Amino acid sequence: MARMKFICDAERCIECNGCATACKNEHEVPWGVNRRRLVTVNDGKPGERSISVACMHCSDAPCMAVCPVDCFYKTEEGVVLHDKDLCIGCGYCFYACPFGAPQFPQAGAFGLRGKMDKCTFCAGGPEENHSKAEFTKYGRNRIAEGKLPACAEMCSTKALLAGDGAVIESIYKTRVQRRGKGDEIWGWAMAYKRGDALVAGAKS
Amino acid sequence: MARAVTTTVAVAAGFALAATLVGCGEIDQTAKVEKVYAGKKDTRASDDVRFGGDRKKWEAALVERSKGQNEYLRTDVK
Repeated sequence: MARMKFICDAERCIECNGCATACKNEHEVPWGVNRRRLVTVNDGKPGERSISVACMHCSDAPCMAVCPVDCFYKTEEGVVLHDKDLCIGCGYCFYACPFGAPQFPQAGAFGLRGKMDKCTFCAGGPEENHSKAEFTKYGRNRIAEGKLPACAEMCSTKALLAGDGAVIESIYKTRVQRRGKGDEIWGWAMAYKRGDALVAGAKS
Repeated sequence: MARAVTTTVAVAAGFALAATLVGCGEIDQTAKVEKVYAGKKDTRASDDVRFGGDRKKWEAALVERSKGQNEYLRTDVK
């Protein structure tokens, strides 16, 4: 199997925050920690685009390279995970990560940084699969159940794709070839006329 | 005499140029020490009771699920 990857299609994302909500709900992520979030450019202007961002499970992950206690590991599927029992909450991974994926819960009255928390690709962590410890520290392990990350499965427009890199790449490629580019994918014609033609073509 | 001085200056200039170029060389900055994970061992996803350690079955389930994200396959629009 190839590596597990996320792709977010900026042409489809409608900034509904369904992915972030699904993630929060699935793993009971505490207040102040956002494993996934939306980034929007040109907000409210023509050409506005949004993408959903979380840990990208890098092939050569900088967080792994800088961790002073070596608490990161990579699964056979290329998912970057970490052991919270080892993490010292130093924050090096946060500075190293180009996506701002590592999150730190505020611990205690003085706002001390807790142990790092991040997207696990819904693959849990180094505890027994589906155990209480795994859920408390890392969230639910959907991958071991043969499911995909909750964010992607919840995405209403299927802008966010998750899974085997080769499969989602093929889905994205088909999509781009079918929908065209530029003005072709905007406006009334795309929403109604072209859509009608596609349906009529399929029925005949 | 003048010829000897010229030769000496040329040799000195040659050494100076070589030394300068060596200073511009690139030193390999790649860490030589491999990072080794120090934490607890994780259980493989395919070892779940649903798949009984059958990795191929698990992979097939996941690929099938991934393909479900392609609405061109889910609708009758060809």
